[in-house]
Amino acid sequence: MAAISLLNPKAEFARAAQALAVNISAARGIQDVMKTNLGPKGTMKMLVSGAGDIKITKDGNVLLHEMQIQHPTASLIARASTAQDDATGDGTTSTVLLIGELLKQAEIYISEGLHPRILTEGFDVARNKALEVLESIKISIEIKRENLIDVARTSLKTKVHAKLAEILTDACVDAVLAIRTPDKPVDLHMIELMEMQHKSATESTLIRGLVMDHGARHPDMPKRVENAYILTCNVSLEYEKTTVNSGFFYKTAEDREKLVAAERDFIDQRVKKIIALKKKVCDGTKKSFVVINQKGIDPLSLDAFAKEGIIALRRAKRRNMERLALACGGSAMNSVDDLTEDCLGYAGLVYEHILGEEKYTFVEECKNPQSVTILIKGPNKHTLAQIKDAVRDGLRAVNNAIEDKAVIPGAGAFEIKANMELQKYKDSVKGKARLGIQAYAEALLIIPKMLAVNSGYDAQDTIVKLQEESRLSPDPVGLDLSTGEAIKPADLGILDNYVVKKQIINSCSVIASNLLLVDEIMRAGMSSLKG
Amino acid sequence: MTTREILTLQLGHYSNYVGAHFWNIQELGFDYTGTKKSECNSDILYREGQNTKGQITYTPRLLLADLKAALKTLPASGGLPDENIQEDFHWNAIEKIQEPKAEKNEFLRDIDTKAASDVISKKYTLENDISTWTDYLYTRLHSRSINIIKDYQHGNENVSFDLYHTGKSIWEQEFGETFSDKIRKYVEECDSMQGFQVNFDCTDGFSGLALSSIEHLVDEYSKPILAHPIIASYFSDNNPTTQEERDISNIKDTIRLVNIAFSIEELSQHATFFVPLCTGDKGWRKPGNVRAFEYLNYNSELYYHSSAILASAIDTLSQKYRHKSNFYTLSDVCTDMTGFGRKMAAASLGLPFAMNESQYLIDYLNTNTKPIYTPITPSCKIATDKIFQLITVRGIPENYLKAPMKEAREQMNLPAYKCNNVKEMFELYFQANNFLSATNVTVCEQPLELKTPYPQIFSKSLNKYGFISEESNLMKVESCPVIAGYHNGTFLSDMIEKLHREVSRIKFAKLHKFLEEGCEEAEFKERLDKLSEFKDNYEDDFEL
Ligand SMILES: Nc1ncnc2c1ncn2[C@@H]1O[C@H](COP(=O)(O)OP(=O)(O)OP(=O)(O)O)[C@@H](O)[C@H]1O
Ligand SMILES: [Mg+2]
Repeated sequence: MAAISLLNPKAEFARAAQALAVNISAARGIQDVMKTNLGPKGTMKMLVSGAGDIKITKDGNVLLHEMQIQHPTASLIARASTAQDDATGDGTTSTVLLIGELLKQAEIYISEGLHPRILTEGFDVARNKALEVLESIKISIEIKRENLIDVARTSLKTKVHAKLAEILTDACVDAVLAIRTPDKPVDLHMIELMEMQHKSATESTLIRGLVMDHGARHPDMPKRVENAYILTCNVSLEYEKTTVNSGFFYKTAEDREKLVAAERDFIDQRVKKIIALKKKVCDGTKKSFVVINQKGIDPLSLDAFAKEGIIALRRAKRRNMERLALACGGSAMNSVDDLTEDCLGYAGLVYEHILGEEKYTFVEECKNPQSVTILIKGPNKHTLAQIKDAVRDGLRAVNNAIEDKAVIPGAGAFEIKANMELQKYKDSVKGKARLGIQAYAEALLIIPKMLAVNSGYDAQDTIVKLQEESRLSPDPVGLDLSTGEAIKPADLGILDNYVVKKQIINSCSVIASNLLLVDEIMRAGMSSLKG
Repeated sequence: MTTREILTLQLGHYSNYVGAHFWNIQELGFDYTGTKKSECNSDILYREGQNTKGQITYTPRLLLADLKAALKTLPASGGLPDENIQEDFHWNAIEKIQEPKAEKNEFLRDIDTKAASDVISKKYTLENDISTWTDYLYTRLHSRSINIIKDYQHGNENVSFDLYHTGKSIWEQEFGETFSDKIRKYVEECDSMQGFQVNFDCTDGFSGLALSSIEHLVDEYSKPILAHPIIASYFSDNNPTTQEERDISNIKDTIRLVNIAFSIEELSQHATFFVPLCTGDKGWRKPGNVRAFEYLNYNSELYYHSSAILASAIDTLSQKYRHKSNFYTLSDVCTDMTGFGRKMAAASLGLPFAMNESQYLIDYLNTNTKPIYTPITPSCKIATDKIFQLITVRGIPENYLKAPMKEAREQMNLPAYKCNNVKEMFELYFQANNFLSATNVTVCEQPLELKTPYPQIFSKSLNKYGFISEESNLMKVESCPVIAGYHNGTFLSDMIEKLHREVSRIKFAKLHKFLEEGCEEAEFKERLDKLSEFKDNYEDDFEL
């Protein structure tokens, strides 16, 4: 979309030394674009295309997908960073910054004549040490609401306005907890994200049930029912016309009609079976009946249902078959033979909501729903997209914390701590590899530095302050963005995902090393470019 | 009568060129006055809706895909007015990164500001003003219609979307999920859908994307799928001058060829009926010489020109299942054309159906020695015998049929004189000319209307109504009669044979780009084998 072209794509890959320089400058180019994003005080980017399309984001991953990255090195970094996001849902911006910074630090040593190979060996050692530090500051948690709220809030506040972040925090945590069964991995697909273009974003909310983006297609069907049996099925209730008119072979009108009637009858039988079940379970009670079908339902079938007061929805999402069974109970039926009451689910309330040409059906008041919906509201398309991205991040943050059974202090605490430990460790290492460790330690500081700069504080002053405080404190120390002072992030509930940081440490060292050992990279690059 | 709806998928840049003309033809042909008797039920391809401002909209039931930077001036939301309420609270620091505003050409500026009737009658030289299909798109689209593949940029030579398998992997990602959900939303709206029409570029990554989407349609909806794999009329590397350029062009030709072969092979598995289209005579390894139409002068290097020809063909061919009478549907067409597992057919077009303005149809058909249509399927020569064909003829007034009794003279001696209408006469014509063949003729009264921005590619010897006249004409041709057909028969085995042979010559080792995208040699071989099995369907002679 928006053109943020980074360097000239026609970069020459001729000589290794030059190539190294090219790599480093490409990495820094992409770093420059991304660095202002970092943290809750980072700048939001508003990308406007030549045709006026708007995309608003602060998310590194989204931005990388929107940018037109022409330089192969830059796109390699971009791909590594988006892979980071695919794996854990977070940390893209940090990844880009760290790779850029590692190369920048490396450049200093290489320009003084150090062989890149020695540096990358140092990176390797440093990485292992950093992982140890990470392990040491990890905070184990019990899977409880209050323990998950902080990590969700920390994530969401880096993506949307604080007021909205609070609302979404509750929605994300409660959604994950609702669908989770202890000791089983959570399937985030069982949380539906439904967008609704409507007034204020702060009306976004968690629905303990399902919201579908379609409604009944018959004017006489009820718009709202209570106490509803839900039949979820994947059965065609639509008369599929097989070929009755050949251009070559003659069929009489009578023959054609017979064909049509036979097929029609076939569908009618199915509809009758459903209606029979409805009568059996509802007649004489105050209960109502809703059919949600993955296949089609044609007007004649709709008509038959409407006459019986049944709400019928057609062409439900494939995934909603599973979700409905989890939200309402019952099971998705592939045939209407042998229908019994056991097949049916239940919802206390089913109603339709119409917004312009869009229809929504709410299936709510479910008993113990194990599939839920986060209803995202926003005044326009780009806000909806932005919130949806943020909610996805929030859900992954909660889920990561559950899987890790741990979190780590944020606000640069890890980086300050690891920097300090690496400086100590470096002295115990012999030979030039220590230079690699030094470079690595230095590079880590880009995170607290950018957090400071993005909040309007001086990078160097902040680092000095934090390092001093860190030496005195047994607990990890991070940066308070509203005062510029040192704090203990854990006390303020600024918590990040353990797995995200771990992944950042691993992937950055690998990518940076690859880019430094240019010879090999370039050859690979050549073959795929020649193409 | 209920409408039998169709959902159209349009995948790839050239297919969007074709589509832009196609939708323009539909929309500029709408009859708002009720005076013109339209034979076409426009609800089959269009849907009524409401935009966020509450205004009623009428937009194509369409999903299209293209790459980033291909839309130029058209917003990805389709260009209809949209309510845009501002947010209630803001982030404190927002950095706006604005691309230079895309310039609209004269035509687009005019449709924004002027009455439609002024625009339609005005003359433009759009040839110089068009760099993408949105530059002449008159139609506005539903906000759901446009799908952009963000990972690839249109015209980017470094990272190009050029492989079948790249398209397949895009489908596996979020793109596929969003796209299939949009398909579902369209289908949900339909009461009595007849099927899907899929027009796609079969030379680049869109080939894989299209086949993935077709496979999805098969899995999810049991409806007929008519596919047109399309090859553009020209590729920018087609005229290399240096050795280096020749090498690059060669590599690109190879990749395009493999994509075409994979498309055909997989279509033979999943599509209900498919017809490859190209205005070049060969299609591969290069599109080849332009297919000649006697009364057209078009520049095959201009997509704007060649795509108009294919759009005219698709518009004409689809009249049969878009007719108000609702008699034939896609399913009928597919069944009629695909006996013996011959899912692939060829298409032809006569643009215009070149009759003299002072001639009767009977005389024309009687004396004419030239083919009345040109094939628009690559590498194939449509046979005259032992074929199945669906022919659509439009815009020949019944009073052009034959002379009235009193003036008929020699005409009376012709067996065709007993024909009472255009349909009967064509039926007789094909009976006489195609030995052991079955022909079904559809006749539409309305000609093809050629309203701006349809390109001005017509010969000066055509009059305003597209008939040949003696004097040279300065008037713009406003409409013309057209003939188009789908043809199937053993003659197509030749085309598959050529394709198979050409692809078999490629050493798999040279296809490292495919290998990188996860296509192993075994897969390559297997696809070739299946292609050759598919050809077998065309080998045996059938009996009528
Ligand atoms: N309230 C806060 N105070 C200080 N630092 C914070 C606060 N909230 C988050 N951070 C820090 O901000 C960083 C995360 O910023 P951000 O989410 O913008 O980037 P990212 O996670 O690297 O990339 P992505 O764009 O993919 O989310 C982490 O280092 C985190 O500790
Ligand atoms: Mg983050």
